[in-house]
Amino acid sequence: MIVAGCDVGSLTAEAVILDDGRILAAEIIRVRPRAEQSAREVMDLALARTGLSYDDLTYTVSTGYGRETIPFADHNISEISCHGRGAHFLAPSVRTVIDIGGQDCKAIRVDASGFLEDFVMNDKCAAGTGRSLELMSQYLGVDFSELADLAAQAERTITITSQCSIFSELEIMHYLMEDERPADIAAGICEAMARRVKMLVGRVGVRKDLAISGGVCKNRGVVACLEEMLGATFVPFDQDPQIVGALGAALFAAERAKRSARKTRVATAAAGKGGGS
Amino acid sequence: MIYAGCDLGTISAKAVLIEDGRILAAEVLPYKSLPRQAAGEVFSMALASAGVDKEQVAHCLATGFGKKAVRFAHGDAAELVCLHRAVRALNPAARTVIDAGGQSIRAFNIDSEGRLTASTANEKCAAGTGKFMEVMAQALEMPIDELSRAALDSTHPLSITSQCGVFAESEVITHVNEGRDRLDIFAGISLSVAGKVAGLTRRVNLNREVVLVGGVAKNACVVRDLERALKVELVKPDLDPQALSAYGAALLARDRDPASEA
Repeated sequence: MIVAGCDVGSLTAEAVILDDGRILAAEIIRVRPRAEQSAREVMDLALARTGLSYDDLTYTVSTGYGRETIPFADHNISEISCHGRGAHFLAPSVRTVIDIGGQDCKAIRVDASGFLEDFVMNDKCAAGTGRSLELMSQYLGVDFSELADLAAQAERTITITSQCSIFSELEIMHYLMEDERPADIAAGICEAMARRVKMLVGRVGVRKDLAISGGVCKNRGVVACLEEMLGATFVPFDQDPQIVGALGAALFAAERAKRSARKTRVATAAAGKGGGS
Repeated sequence: MIYAGCDLGTISAKAVLIEDGRILAAEVLPYKSLPRQAAGEVFSMALASAGVDKEQVAHCLATGFGKKAVRFAHGDAAELVCLHRAVRALNPAARTVIDAGGQSIRAFNIDSEGRLTASTANEKCAAGTGKFMEVMAQALEMPIDELSRAALDSTHPLSITSQCGVFAESEVITHVNEGRDRLDIFAGISLSVAGKVAGLTRRVNLNREVVLVGGVAKNACVVRDLERALKVELVKPDLDPQALSAYGAALLARDRDPASEA
């Protein structure tokens, strides 16, 4: 049975196609102005990769910030549940998942079966989100993708004291004007990001094992700082950590498809029995 | 005797020169260089406009976020103390002072004896600050003073739902892309700033007369919205609203100078 999950976030959109628990395709794109457009585009890509069409998908679940406006989805489920489920599928020992997206940051605790136990989320303030990291890289004059490499060359870490991403612009500008090394400021940016995420994780309570998902976890600088602050190593995934939400949505899709197939079978059987008597 | 005050804020430097309680010069310089260089520049501007030499200044005090970087100052004083001193001199009837600056928003009460009785300030977040408005004006690609004048006529302010400046900026860009009127967008930003400043002000007592200072006081649209939100008339001091702390520093320089006859 073929099912799909589609995660439309604020900065990227992902699609995963599953065939009986096996990942057939996983795609990531930068979002378009409208959520349905992003969803369609990323799902087209994933389908093209597998040579399938929309008709082959038994069930599709959408998730993420734009989940309610996806026309081809049969159902939508919150990204909190999807991230928990996806992470549990990739690494069953995981009890705490940290997801750092473009516009929010979440710490999710799941039980041994991958069901949601508790979560904390920040979506009111940009601090601790991908957008903030992107902005601070920009203030430093480097691309977001170059920040970790730059931070790796640091001789020391310059502490960024502003919590607010807007205020940190002035702070970074002042450090640059005072001829501080960009690498040392980059290390400070990674550290500030990790500090903010650690505060959030502390509120939900850390239970091992830990895993990290979302775009920011590709930044080695932030991940290394966070591991040090939490005194734990993140369990690695053998998939791109940005697809965890879409994967979780696809897993929910598989469950729902099975459930409705069973219901249909029961209904058919009942109808058959009724007709016989 | 001539006294000076220099205020190194987060986005601009200010210098005020006084003689016998009279203001000789008040200058404001937005940062284009390092704050410590800007301090020297704004001080020279004030000296030039007053037509006096550096040597004639008997005593100078620094204040503001960068006060330790003012190398020519004889000492420094806390910004709140300077602001309080300046308001007492300019508006003795003030009982509530709202200071809405580039990075900080604060509100405090003064009792009938002139004592500071309660104060509150924002800490970590740019919401409601001058910097917040500057970011939005950049997203609208229009000068902020032009926006604030024109937005007074907006009849349909758009609601800006994000408190966070980063997220509000995305909201503004979305509105622009959807072809919304820039003035309606800015009118919405003004309401958001006024709401934030009003919320902070309500943490102290709103006693008349209420004086508004800081760079945001130059924004007509926000001032109107803030008056509506607080349901009170806001009094503006008879001096550049950004130069109050520097003026207070100059007055304190005079108070503290042992050689002062005043």
